[in-house]
Amino acid sequence: MNSKERLKATLAHQQGSRIVIDFGSAPVTGIHVLMLEKLRDYYGLEKRPVKVTEPYQMLGEVDEELRELLCVDVIGLLSRTTIFGFENKNWKEFRTFWGQEVLVPGDFMTTLDERGDLLIYPEGDPSVSPSAKMPASGFFFDAIIRQDPFNEENPSIEDNLEEFKPVTDKDLSYWAEQIRVHGSTGKGLVANFGGTALGDIALVPATFLKHPKGIRDIQEWYMSSLTRPDFLKEIFDRQSDVAVENLKKLYAVVGDAIDVVYMCGNDFGTQQSTFCDPDTFREIYLPYYRKMNDWIHSHTTWKTFKHSCGAVETLISSFIDAGFDILNPVQINATGMDPEYLKRKYGDQLVFWGGGVDTQKVLAFGTPGEVSDQVRRMCGIFSKNGGFVFNTVHNIQANVPVENVVAMIDTLKKINGEA
Amino acid sequence: MMNSDFLERIAYCVEYGKVSLQSPYPPDMKGQDGADEITRKALDEGTAPGLILSEGLVKGMERIGVKFRAKQVFVPHVLMSAKAMNTAMEHLKPYFLSGAVQRKGTVLIGTVAGDLHDIGKNIVAMMIEGGGWEVINLGVDVKDEELIEEINKHPGCIVALSALLTTTMVNMENTVRKIKINNPNTRIMIGGAPVTREFCDEIGADFYSPDPQGVVEYLKTII
Repeated sequence: MNSKERLKATLAHQQGSRIVIDFGSAPVTGIHVLMLEKLRDYYGLEKRPVKVTEPYQMLGEVDEELRELLCVDVIGLLSRTTIFGFENKNWKEFRTFWGQEVLVPGDFMTTLDERGDLLIYPEGDPSVSPSAKMPASGFFFDAIIRQDPFNEENPSIEDNLEEFKPVTDKDLSYWAEQIRVHGSTGKGLVANFGGTALGDIALVPATFLKHPKGIRDIQEWYMSSLTRPDFLKEIFDRQSDVAVENLKKLYAVVGDAIDVVYMCGNDFGTQQSTFCDPDTFREIYLPYYRKMNDWIHSHTTWKTFKHSCGAVETLISSFIDAGFDILNPVQINATGMDPEYLKRKYGDQLVFWGGGVDTQKVLAFGTPGEVSDQVRRMCGIFSKNGGFVFNTVHNIQANVPVENVVAMIDTLKKINGEA
Repeated sequence: MMNSDFLERIAYCVEYGKVSLQSPYPPDMKGQDGADEITRKALDEGTAPGLILSEGLVKGMERIGVKFRAKQVFVPHVLMSAKAMNTAMEHLKPYFLSGAVQRKGTVLIGTVAGDLHDIGKNIVAMMIEGGGWEVINLGVDVKDEELIEEINKHPGCIVALSALLTTTMVNMENTVRKIKINNPNTRIMIGGAPVTREFCDEIGADFYSPDPQGVVEYLKTII
């Protein structure tokens, strides 16, 4: 079996001979550029700047060399433009705050503010207000809230729909090219089409728009779930209509060459609880997720991927009812997210993509031995009868000791009989 | 109307996030006065502003904090309660400024250097304010020097630090160490998703809570 076949088998809940591994297929399963450099050094690869493929979180390209070394089975096909609205092309060198030479897209336009923090501009246009900031002692960006006054009693739906547009011919050509390049690699393919995330709190501030209108403040958006639920429902209804039309066009180009669609990264969980109760989720979100997932399931072989950090156990049944096939990052250290319980209760219906090792404590601050023990334990629990893709709980951050990442990889290789 | 009626109505508006007459939320209170109007009327009819704070706002925020901890309500509900509280608090401002109403003390709160996350920190700030404390919110990415300068400006203050990231938890450790060197008697509370009680002990902070109500309850014990 090649990687793609193994992925298909595990997505179909069939026990495979080895565990399927992902690093870098989506903006929530990636590796920070600093860690990629450390890994390249560790494995003695040629010294060269890592490409920043997801500039918001400074995630880097897991290229073919590293894919082979890390035994990665899937390739992530990124959307044509980044979260800052520019394309990943015309690479140029950039020196980070932590002294690393990296490659960034040509439109990665930045300035320093009076505190020495790094500001970045939507579509690479420094004539408009910056849309995100990286603190001088930080490792990635966070959105700058650009909230213009809006009509609180009757906010405009159109203003919050600006970013959800029909795919263009340029987008379709891009996707055709992605399939041409990656379609015959034998790897599983994860498509990040965009446009299918409902109310993703990372996207609400619209770091990619030059002049965002509508509700862009995060707290106001959260409160809107109580004060104006009909407004949110109408946004999601219209957005999902656009998304379905886009999926039809994209499917005509990529067909069943892709295996998984990264649908939504909206976090419904905190460390100990959720952002809403199941009834609210089922009222405001579920019908519109369902509309997109239903179209995909009745017309394609794709599986749909839902990311939500946090303690979301009470919402998992609703995620399943919304038509999602895959849950990520499976935050095993959050309240109620006991791996054995999750696997027993939901393992037949949901693929766990993540949960391989806790990143808040074990991977970041534990010993290599502790990392190895946890990886073994989680693989033992989650991989029974398939339905598991190994990934850490969210991206691997800059500060993780490289020996812990190597311990994780070595353990996976042993489990897979490759060491 | 009796004072106690006003106070209970204010507490109720805060608990359920009823900001003002115009607010459509909660739907079953549509068309009714909110925290804004009732606080104004209470003051106009002679209710002591100190009572409005302690028996109205603090009570309402305490009820929502307890429900939040019990997972009966969620972040949006707490934000609405805080909005109602802040609206009422505007009417009390002159009494704080004149000294007619005293708060329990001052809490400086901020997200540590390198970290720009502020929702969790803001919710804690709102709950502390709703607990009857003056809160000075220093924002995000607060540098150690700024924090120590503010501590020196507010003798006896308590410090609350937040970190959402494993990469900025280390900055929290440095910040706590510097505060303890410069201002050894300053109490420091810490929180944030990756932060734990063990980490709190390890870095020499005084208190950790996994939820905002725990902070309010800790503060009650140290007055």
